[in-house]
Amino acid sequence: MTAATTPSIDLDRERASLERAWANGRGLLAWLSVTTHQAIGMRYIVTAFLFLLAGGVEALLMRLQLARPDNTLLTADKYNQIFTVHGSTMMFLFAVPMMEGMGVYLVPLMLGTRNVAFPRLNAFGYWMYVIGGLFLYWGLFTNTGPDVGWFAYTPLSGPQFSPGKRVDVWAQMITFTEISAMCVAAELAATILKMRAPGMSLNRIPLFCWGMLVQSFMVLFAMPAVMVASNIFLLTDRTIGTHFSNPAEGGDPLLYQHVFWFFGHPEVYIIFIPALGMVSAIVDTNTRRAIFGYPAMVLSLVATAFIGFGLWVHHMFATGLPQIGEAYFTAASMMIAIASGVQIFCWLATMWTGRIRWTAAMHFVAGFVFIFVLGGLTGVMLAAIPLDLQVHDTFFVVAHFHYVLIGGALFPLFGGFHHWFGKFTGRLIDERLGKLTFWVLFIGFNLTFFPMHILGLRGMTRRIYTYPSEMQWGGANALATAGALVILLGGILFLVNVFTSRRNGEMAGPNPWDSGTLEWATASPPQNFNFLLLPAVTGRYPLWTSFKERIAVTGLRNDRREVLVTTLMDAEPHHRYVLPRSSIWPFVTAVLITIGLIGSVFQFQWYYPGIALATIGFLGWFWPRAQEAEP
Amino acid sequence: MSAWGTPYQSAVNAAGPQSGRIETLFWVFTILLAIIFVIVIVVLLLTLTRRHRGIQQEPLEQTHIPSGATEHRLTRTVAAATIVTVVVLLGLLVASVGTGKAISGLGTARNGLAVEVIGNQWWWYVRYLNDDASRIVTTANEIHIPVGRPVMIRGTSHDVIHSFWVPNLNGKIDFIPSRVNAQWIEADYPGRFRGQCAEFCGIQHAHMALWVVAEPPDRFEAWMNHQLEPAAAPSDADSQQGQQVFLNHACIFCHTIAGTAALGSAGPDLTHFASRSTIAAGTLPNTKGNLAGWIADPQNIKPGNHMATVALDSADVQPLIDYLESLK
Amino acid sequence: MTPPRSIDVADLPPFAVSSEAPLWWGQLFLTFVEATMFAILIAMYFYIRLSMDVWPPPGIQMPPEVLPAIALVLLIASCYGSYRASEAAKRDDRWGMIEGLALNLGLAIPAVVLRAFSWHDWNFKWTSTAYGSVTWGILFLHTLDLGADLAFTLVLLIIVALVRSGPRQRLGVHVDSIVWYFLVAIWIPLYVTVYWGPHLVGAPQ
Repeated sequence: MTAATTPSIDLDRERASLERAWANGRGLLAWLSVTTHQAIGMRYIVTAFLFLLAGGVEALLMRLQLARPDNTLLTADKYNQIFTVHGSTMMFLFAVPMMEGMGVYLVPLMLGTRNVAFPRLNAFGYWMYVIGGLFLYWGLFTNTGPDVGWFAYTPLSGPQFSPGKRVDVWAQMITFTEISAMCVAAELAATILKMRAPGMSLNRIPLFCWGMLVQSFMVLFAMPAVMVASNIFLLTDRTIGTHFSNPAEGGDPLLYQHVFWFFGHPEVYIIFIPALGMVSAIVDTNTRRAIFGYPAMVLSLVATAFIGFGLWVHHMFATGLPQIGEAYFTAASMMIAIASGVQIFCWLATMWTGRIRWTAAMHFVAGFVFIFVLGGLTGVMLAAIPLDLQVHDTFFVVAHFHYVLIGGALFPLFGGFHHWFGKFTGRLIDERLGKLTFWVLFIGFNLTFFPMHILGLRGMTRRIYTYPSEMQWGGANALATAGALVILLGGILFLVNVFTSRRNGEMAGPNPWDSGTLEWATASPPQNFNFLLLPAVTGRYPLWTSFKERIAVTGLRNDRREVLVTTLMDAEPHHRYVLPRSSIWPFVTAVLITIGLIGSVFQFQWYYPGIALATIGFLGWFWPRAQEAEP
Repeated sequence: MSAWGTPYQSAVNAAGPQSGRIETLFWVFTILLAIIFVIVIVVLLLTLTRRHRGIQQEPLEQTHIPSGATEHRLTRTVAAATIVTVVVLLGLLVASVGTGKAISGLGTARNGLAVEVIGNQWWWYVRYLNDDASRIVTTANEIHIPVGRPVMIRGTSHDVIHSFWVPNLNGKIDFIPSRVNAQWIEADYPGRFRGQCAEFCGIQHAHMALWVVAEPPDRFEAWMNHQLEPAAAPSDADSQQGQQVFLNHACIFCHTIAGTAALGSAGPDLTHFASRSTIAAGTLPNTKGNLAGWIADPQNIKPGNHMATVALDSADVQPLIDYLESLK
Repeated sequence: MTPPRSIDVADLPPFAVSSEAPLWWGQLFLTFVEATMFAILIAMYFYIRLSMDVWPPPGIQMPPEVLPAIALVLLIASCYGSYRASEAAKRDDRWGMIEGLALNLGLAIPAVVLRAFSWHDWNFKWTSTAYGSVTWGILFLHTLDLGADLAFTLVLLIIVALVRSGPRQRLGVHVDSIVWYFLVAIWIPLYVTVYWGPHLVGAPQ
């Protein structure tokens, strides 16, 4: 399709019509029926942030308990529940949903469209996530919290050694969160592949969208493994007498580990890869230049994803597997560092030749480089089997994964918060307080986690609720706890910044950072329809092309929620696509499915009425409606 | 470094050939990777503070893309850095695999000793294997080994997955029910080395330690021969009463004292209980006071552990303690 | 301010019944999820095989393969009905869709009934050894998926026949066909694993 001179358009009528078509309505019923991506994305972000705080409280409790030898702040049972819920919260209820929330909010904007491909599925995924998270916390607060670690190895988590409902709560929480993740993955992948602005060929999409696309595919192939491990393996062993992990009947506890880690290793890249996309978005904006090495960056993301599926045995080096197989996993675990290394080199190259604007977001990027690289290097150490056999399951590995997850995912995320806060809320976050927040978090983080490397080398194993004073681990532990309190301060500073900036921050306007990508081509915060006229693009940074070269899309109907579907490779316009308006059915279906899922934790037979109820939900969801009849 | 842990449960205080090789590998990795880290951070800091002298600075405000020459130079630099990364990683891979092979090579049975260790919630069953059945020693939570001789630890679990780890001597090895995993350890010099279960195994995972005591060969032989003897007979009326208390209570359902009617196997073997330095898998020093507290209320010391609280008449307590502490 | 140039898309159709539709892609991605799950189950079957000396374990009797084989053939044949319905959906041929879906269901439902009958021939449950657990795991999960899609197809047939046959319903029929192809295609390696596993990798007592 070639562009022609734009006919004159009455923009005010256009806007008024779009506002009516895209209105969310008021009241509780309307709130439960929302299907616009900005609202749902923000719900994911806020909910995930609340779970981050909950996980942080659990971490503080653990650090207070470990600050002194033979401490009695927490009993063994409470501590074991808390460390399990901390890990499960951070991995399943904070990290993945948060990245997905950022994706759900930003991807349609960056692609130049109005919503995700499946708006009701988006809403449904959110409700499933919230319900699953609440279910886990119901467990914790009723002393039914899981207490077997966030990966719940068998036979400890099996029916013989973990009687009661604690592990069942964990396993079913996984079901909720995995269904949610798979919904978001399917919709984001479909959106990124099929709903881009005309002219936005695959080699022109923002690197953050590449990150979300790669991550979505990883979710599709990794999450089924944890579904199998938690539901088919563990839950059935515990409730209906299967023998997957019972050696006496041919089962094998190691099989659980293989299936779990086949998910578990990609899981950390699922968390990490969107963060890499955020780093690119922050760096290009704040260096005023295109990211160096776009093809290499994309290849690195894809390579990380592929290689990430081939590493899982490095979590099992101590289990006595054949050495020759293990050597392959050492090689792969080291090679993946090359892909991450290339990305770091490209960002450094970009910064070296750019003109840096020292925003709070860039501070977090610098912190990310420091912390993540350190964590990645200890990861190279862990890849070496002889070293791993010493430090596996000690505080050394606790240090490692906090360095790579907090450095590699949380710091970019906070950078992203500071970078996009103006877009999300309409007001800029305070830069000075943001930079202070960075320094407090950076110092607190290193104070907390660096000593743990040494503690691990000096014999302190992980998941212990206390330790004797003779081991002389008290000093380093006290230091780590002090660091945790500094992190707490940093968290408080951030929250203060968020609340005061929302009320008194400088107005952001559409593009306060003079960024080049499309999310900055509209109001802050965006209206539900995102763009008055959808854009077409001719390069990677549409807003860095001069105005006279810009192209708009006309001809979409504004009296209903209509978007444009484009072809896979070159984003040629193909057909118009009518999206549904608000609907209560995603919420209703989620509640109906919940009845079956939670009921079956207590009595397996609830699965059957559960299926019937889910069917009712889906029928309501998909039943034809008069308003959709017209073409 | 006293605030940073003791040297007797430490991977960086190697006391044997296996752990020695691992420690060497550790320092090679640490020093090389630390240098790399410093280089990356220096580059980062330079990047953030430089004022663009020398590099052509296009009017980025207009095009946002530097010149072809700049990009070309960057491409070469990034490619070079990538190649250096690959080479370094390959070198580290070779070092790692080489160390692994060298450690496997140490495990030959020249004059070796085989010890079976079985993980239980939350203690270690220990049995010295021998073709001669009359020379099999059974004990718990404390393993004596002769200096300079390789010892094979063969392990499994009676319940959940545990992990045997004595960092001064070697890396860890998981003990998995229905599987037998093995590793070689060897002490270069005499000493006492503490180990700890390293795989979360339930509520008292934190209190599942063990001691490996390396002794000169003659002292080890003496220890071994002593362990082979049946339990010391009670030498005075007080200890005799104590033995009666033991045999008349539930203790015998779980514990063995060789040479008596106590043949239980759910808990540690107590035949030479007093020769061990700790109680409850390294939780408390083995003293009369601690033993009294343990027997009176095991749940207070190690909440959730499987030892029953046996009600005793107060008059029976001291004799029982005296008897058990006589079992050297 | 509107940009000076624009692309007008008013002439493009407001729907597509083809693989260009986002829904087609979304459904494809969900089949990736299912495929991975079944691949893991197949891997588990062979892993468990490695830890047992006798396969199938003692006491297990392999059922006669007649019913499952007929069911397999019926399932494969039912794909033709799905294909016909999908092509009819693309041409906006309402009767063609009804015929195709009816053929699909007419062959698929007997296949499922035969499968249910063939289960009577298994002389063990999921509680007898890990072999039983993984075999029944595979059977249950595939049947659950099959049942869900059958129900969906039935509802779709009712809607197309009695309620409406607009673009959304046509797209639904078209997309349903790829789910059906997937479920039948994945059944083939599952069938081989469950029914031929003992022949391929078995070890007698």
